[in-house]
Amino acid sequence: MKYTPKPIPEGINVTPQHPLLDFGYLIATIVLISALIFFSLGWLAEWLAIKISPTTETQIGQMLLSTTMPALSSNVLQTDPRLDYLQNNLLPALAGKTQPPLTVHLFDDDIINAAILPGGHILVWTGLLKAVQSENELAFVLAHEVAHFKHRDPLRMLGRSLVMLSLLTVLGIGNNQSLAGLPSLVSQTGELIGLQYSRQQEQAADEEALSNVIQHYGHGGQALDFFKRLAEKEPQRGGELNISRYFSTHPPTLERLAQLAQLAKVRGWTMTGAITPLPRW
Amino acid sequence: MGNFLEILIFLSLLALGYFAGRYFERKHYKSIRLRESQMLYIPLVTFGAKPPWPNAKEAKLFVGCVVISTDYFKTISAGLRNLVGGRVMAYETLLDRGRREALLRLKEQAIEWGASQILNVRLETSSIWGAEGKQSVGNVEVIAYGTGIKE
Amino acid sequence: MILTNIEGVPGKTIVEHFGIVQGSTVRAKHVGKDIMAGFKNIIGGEIKSYTELLNESRQEAIERMVKQADTLGANAIINVRFATSSITQGAAELFAYGTAVRVE
Repeated sequence: MKYTPKPIPEGINVTPQHPLLDFGYLIATIVLISALIFFSLGWLAEWLAIKISPTTETQIGQMLLSTTMPALSSNVLQTDPRLDYLQNNLLPALAGKTQPPLTVHLFDDDIINAAILPGGHILVWTGLLKAVQSENELAFVLAHEVAHFKHRDPLRMLGRSLVMLSLLTVLGIGNNQSLAGLPSLVSQTGELIGLQYSRQQEQAADEEALSNVIQHYGHGGQALDFFKRLAEKEPQRGGELNISRYFSTHPPTLERLAQLAQLAKVRGWTMTGAITPLPRW
Repeated sequence: MGNFLEILIFLSLLALGYFAGRYFERKHYKSIRLRESQMLYIPLVTFGAKPPWPNAKEAKLFVGCVVISTDYFKTISAGLRNLVGGRVMAYETLLDRGRREALLRLKEQAIEWGASQILNVRLETSSIWGAEGKQSVGNVEVIAYGTGIKE
Repeated sequence: MILTNIEGVPGKTIVEHFGIVQGSTVRAKHVGKDIMAGFKNIIGGEIKSYTELLNESRQEAIERMVKQADTLGANAIINVRFATSSITQGAAELFAYGTAVRVE
């Protein structure tokens, strides 16, 4: 048998495509598909979440509270004049009766923040009480959280994060060995998404909060001053005031302020009036 | 901050894997092509398991072996491919290089011994020992063996 | 001892066979090599230390197979086959087997 030496032709066992192109295609496909799944399932979860009855919401709230409270590692104040004032004076005036009823939890810490959990649990840090300069300012912050609660935003968010979590588990991204560097990135992106209400939710809560504050005081004066100060301080983040905490859960303030001013103009709301001082404690 | 650092490390590893991996791959392919053309005169055949054999007085078994590793870029690329499905292009060059290198090492030994032909060549691929106790992704061992004959 | 992976030895005739002979060895890599390999997993390329280790181990497997054939009184092993398998994390088995024969 005759042997004719000939070189083996190249590019048959190897796909002649640029690796970066392939990588880009992969990333794009995965991002697109996960975005599609995330939004459709998230929408479904929200739709289901807002159908939850007040009784179930109370139970969910209890469960969340018992896991959240220890994680916050701040001192919970059980009896305090400030707690009494928030629970029995300010909140009923702003929110009226709600189902399930609102409960204030006051934390003794310098963090400037307020948050709402499903089941009507409002978390307030004493740092916030020190940072506000009038009752009008505080009322707006609380009314904002109450509005979130009334729109059932915490439930929606819970539904969304549950979907995200189960999705990640199903995909096995967390356990995929060959993607060792990637999983924490993905899950952290998930956390970041879960941390914030959507812009529309924030705007709706802002609008309702302002209208409630105006109903209560007869004007919107000073209500937004706290936000104005935050907006001014925003460039120097992480200062002594722990302001960045508030920003981590509430999106940029300047834009919100502009939107609220616009709204007040359209509705013809009075945006100036007498200041209501905070009670002395 | 922690997130940012993690992303930064991830991206720089990815870039390092891509550029270094590509550089070494090109270098390797260049050397493979050169040696292949140099040793083309010795035939490697997969027949010859059964007689009759070509006229030969001596025979000896030769083994060529190579362990080749992926780069970070390829690993991530293949991992993403795992989610989408389809042809894992990232590993094609890896295995191609491994097989050709193993065959070349087989030939080199046979030529040194003075073989005129290598009969019944067999190739085997196995994935071995991943580093750091992970699943054995990325390290591929290729062996090529055959019987060299001398006139 | 003549080793081939074909069914005989060219230029010789098989007069007697003794059945299958095999040699195997299980080897573990050590941590130092692991660190190097971990680095290689980032930039890619041949892991020379692993290649050498596996080569040595395969040689050992072959020697064990030859020893078996020797004690049987064979002077050649034909139709030799190799196999590599990962048994546990960090250990690989290298295995060689063939038919021990006497050729003239």
